[in-house]
Amino acid sequence: MSHRAKKTLCLALGNDILGDDGVSFAVARIIENQFDDVDVIMSSEAGLALLELIEGYENALLLDAIKTGTVPAGTILAFSPEDFQKVIAPSPHYAGLPEVLALAERLEIPMPHDLRILAMEVKDPYVIQEGLTEDVEKNLPAFVESTCRILTGWVTGASACHTPQTEAHHA
Amino acid sequence: MEEQVKQVFDQAQARANETYMKQRRITIDPITRLEGHGKIDIFLDQKGDVERAYFQVPELRGFEIFSVGRPAEDMPQITSRICGVCPTAHHMAGTKALDAMYGVEPTSAAKKLRELVYNIFMLEDHALHVYILGGPDFIVGPDAPAASRNVVGVIQKVGVEVGKRVISTRRRLRELIAYLGGKVIHPVLGLPGGVAKGIAPADLPKFKEVAKDGLEFALFTMSVFKDIVLKNESYVKLITSDNYTHQTHYMGLVDANNRINFYDGKIRVVDPNGKEIAKFMPADYLDYIAEHVEPWTYVKFPYLKKIGWKGFTGGVESGVFSVAPLARLNASDGMTTPEAQKLYDEYFKTFGGKPVHHTLANHYARVVEMVYAAERINELLADPEITSTDIRTIPTKKPTKGVGVVEAPRGTLYHHYEADERGMITKANLIVATQNNSARMAMSVEKAAKGLIHGGNVSEGLLNMIEMAFRAYDPCHACATHSLPGQMPMIVRIRNMNGEVVHEICR
Repeated sequence: MSHRAKKTLCLALGNDILGDDGVSFAVARIIENQFDDVDVIMSSEAGLALLELIEGYENALLLDAIKTGTVPAGTILAFSPEDFQKVIAPSPHYAGLPEVLALAERLEIPMPHDLRILAMEVKDPYVIQEGLTEDVEKNLPAFVESTCRILTGWVTGASACHTPQTEAHHA
Repeated sequence: MEEQVKQVFDQAQARANETYMKQRRITIDPITRLEGHGKIDIFLDQKGDVERAYFQVPELRGFEIFSVGRPAEDMPQITSRICGVCPTAHHMAGTKALDAMYGVEPTSAAKKLRELVYNIFMLEDHALHVYILGGPDFIVGPDAPAASRNVVGVIQKVGVEVGKRVISTRRRLRELIAYLGGKVIHPVLGLPGGVAKGIAPADLPKFKEVAKDGLEFALFTMSVFKDIVLKNESYVKLITSDNYTHQTHYMGLVDANNRINFYDGKIRVVDPNGKEIAKFMPADYLDYIAEHVEPWTYVKFPYLKKIGWKGFTGGVESGVFSVAPLARLNASDGMTTPEAQKLYDEYFKTFGGKPVHHTLANHYARVVEMVYAAERINELLADPEITSTDIRTIPTKKPTKGVGVVEAPRGTLYHHYEADERGMITKANLIVATQNNSARMAMSVEKAAKGLIHGGNVSEGLLNMIEMAFRAYDPCHACATHSLPGQMPMIVRIRNMNGEVVHEICR
């Protein structure tokens, strides 16, 4: 039985003092007041903390930065949990999403039936700085649109999403 | 240019390039330093044995530039955002640096509240490592198939109920941190001269209840560790094996009686024989620690300044030192709490005396520290002053320069700030815990590689053996980034004497 008042979560993961790693927060700030039935949460936490943030929702959309090095910065990539399902030895520092999902299943912790991940390819998330690089900022409206499309699909009667250009550019 | 001259020029250019490329392969292509994953390059000699091994990780850059010109009082909040896993350590080191900058002494109650929060954080963070991160190596087993050496394997071994207890205990401890510090991830507890919030007397019973359960849980964890690890002869043999042993110096924060304290005290350094060679105040750290730079990585390697950098080697003549649980126990004369002191004595008895040089003993030392943290939480909550409202000394001086040090879960953490007369930061320097361990970690990786590769034969178990070596340190590299997939990919490349890749292991 879920203890959440809302059924849908939009969880932005990132760190806005690490340049492009803050791209998900930029999206979250734009959409946070546009869905009455969605909890929009920004978090810099990692590993097991994700379990506490995600548990109990029926639907969850994770927004994050990614660095594959195989596509241009600013490209939006969509993943499902299956893409990260291969449970491998934990990273040297923290457990990732595969471990969190595997652990939840093992411990019978209720997790979202529909869990999706949208991530934007970023340029350099290792320099402590504010602001997004040009290619990432240019594609921010598209990231917002993709996010809203998924959330709108989950939430009946949700208001249409819009992307104020000024907010996007100052995110 | 005439065609004939051009041909000669091109041929010379080609030869020069060929020579240059060979040299680049023998060292490390500097471009690869920017890759966002861990990378180990192992170079073989003519016999196919390991000549050198390089462990490279992504490194955060730009902190000093980012800090300059910002208000000093923002630093505990800014620095807590550097790390998504140990923000409380950065927040507390930053707060203590502000105390020193403003020349203000926090009230007694404020110090106790800070130490309380800090020990709660240490307990929950260590628990996470014991069960989830380091657990696969020992709870599941170093010989278990790679596919089961993960959190699911841990739960299978210890049982679902224990798994639920780990999650539940951690959550309840984090709720206590959130009560006092707001968000766990970006705490706002610390202020120069004190703390922002105390404990209401009506809420004290809840704290005590969680603290009692926390101590039971810590003691239970020690029994799990003893049953699964210490009673298994092959595990103990692995811990004490030469592949995971280095005789280095050790560093840790101690109180006036040389007992471990995570929150406050002097920094003590002992040599590989356990003899004290330095004990200093945080403000004097630059007299004792210097940083060595290598051309193949952005990571700086701290070493003991008075001994000097003698390369990646152990012994009393080498300035390489280590931090984190193993080092803390070695650098101290004991614990201040009863159960932890018993376990401290047992720990050294298990390994035949002090100091212990086995890297994998970090796991055992971590559990001893869990018990200490849990006992200290209970002690502090039993102190009548813990609900005092006298929680801040208001600073009256202008900020100048300050150094704050705490023992992070991963070792000694230094924050050093300087400000102008307006209180704006003019200089900031951090030496994070993992960085203090970087030289010994590089030695561990190389030793594991040398122990496993002979005559050009590369064992498929190499990756796990090396990972076990550095996982024991619980390293935190580039930990503030959350870029998917949420794990640090690791690539091991074996190169022959010509620098050509002859084997690659990737996960």
